[in-house]
Amino acid sequence: MIKVQNLYKKFGTNEVLSDISTTVAKGEVVSIIGPSGSGKSTFLRCLNLLEVPTSGSIEINGKNLTASKKTIHKIRQQIGMVFQHFHLFPHLTVLENLTYAPMKAKGVKKTEAEMKARLLLERVGLSEKEKAYPNSLSGGQKQRVAIARALAMEPELMLFDEPTSALDPEMVKEVLDVMKDLAKSGMTMVVVTHEMGFAREVADRVLFLDHGVLVEEGQPVEFFSNPKTERAKDFLDKVL
Amino acid sequence: MNLDFSQIVPYIPFMLEGIWVTLKFVFFAIILGSILGTLLALFKIGSIKPLRWFADAYTSVFRGTPLILQLMIIYYSIPQLTGYDISPFLSAILAFGLNSSAYISEIIRAGIQAVDKGQMEAAQALGVPYRAMMKDIILPQALKNILPALMNEFITLTKESAIVSTIGYLDLMRRAQVVGADLFRNFEPLLFVGVIYWCLVMGLTMIGRVFERRLKQSD
Repeated sequence: MIKVQNLYKKFGTNEVLSDISTTVAKGEVVSIIGPSGSGKSTFLRCLNLLEVPTSGSIEINGKNLTASKKTIHKIRQQIGMVFQHFHLFPHLTVLENLTYAPMKAKGVKKTEAEMKARLLLERVGLSEKEKAYPNSLSGGQKQRVAIARALAMEPELMLFDEPTSALDPEMVKEVLDVMKDLAKSGMTMVVVTHEMGFAREVADRVLFLDHGVLVEEGQPVEFFSNPKTERAKDFLDKVL
Repeated sequence: MNLDFSQIVPYIPFMLEGIWVTLKFVFFAIILGSILGTLLALFKIGSIKPLRWFADAYTSVFRGTPLILQLMIIYYSIPQLTGYDISPFLSAILAFGLNSSAYISEIIRAGIQAVDKGQMEAAQALGVPYRAMMKDIILPQALKNILPALMNEFITLTKESAIVSTIGYLDLMRRAQVVGADLFRNFEPLLFVGVIYWCLVMGLTMIGRVFERRLKQSD
């Protein structure tokens, strides 16, 4: 589903990503972990071209991203993204947050969009909040709405950029539960996270990035119990 | 003290008519200024370089020269250059609209840039096309931030509209001068239209407050 080849990203002279190649299969859940500043978020943001790679290629479902800048919004419609700081639209109600993009970008009819939005809100446990504005929600609720908003576009792939990092500790679980549920439903997911528990428990594969280099990748059980590289060992010693 | 307001009484309907005359061109000038200002602001933040240069040059010219000069140039030079006998009304709309759009474009640009960058990224990530994103997501949030500055601009425009009296347009100000010349008393008619200007601005301020309250709904 995703095929990344020799991806480089530079900000000025600062090389943030260096020669990254990997693939993600349909239905796979991949966690990206690594110390802060390792380029995890930049890598994730390259996958829907919020950051434009300096060189290398990214294919999503066989379509080359960097070659299709003009039609990128069509490709982005198939890729949901959840941000660390939610980025809900504050001037729209929860329901409108969910229906806006399907109606505007895909031309879905209002009644249909609302029906789907209500189902999604039920799925993330926030049915009673549909008329509320984002500012009246807690962090955990905001992030669950943000996940529902991304799902409203019926994406084939979901990207999560540290979805629980801005949350109070007691709200992390409610968001992770929604994500676990999503993983179980067969969604292809790429998750940048500091939640090692989530990576170990839910992910099919873990990518470990350090200084912009894909240092190690493997199955969670093996990676966490028996990391092959010194740098991964070092990192795991610090966080576990 | 030699004040006698009774003398201006016969002229009151004549002066009150000026309210409508002033409001009429101020209204069109605000519309023109807002539309043009929004366009210029979008040029300034857009990625097309020639449009950006144009918008910057435009702002520099219209902010960098006196409004009264722009008004005179439009009113006197258009007939000279094209032979079209432009009316004071049209000249006033053009001068004030064009001038105001330079200021409004700066206000809107600042407002757009103050909207959290994540809003744009969220809309992009959802695959929302640029135009729709600007119209539905970015501009409404920008508008909320800039409403006080925008109201300020409209208030300035309403007051400065008195400058059109210099090209013989029979607005409030001009009418006060006419009455003054007729009576050989200037203070009373000037004071009278002064109060009217103040009332107009208060009305505008109130409209602004109503809008602000409505936009605050989501807080």
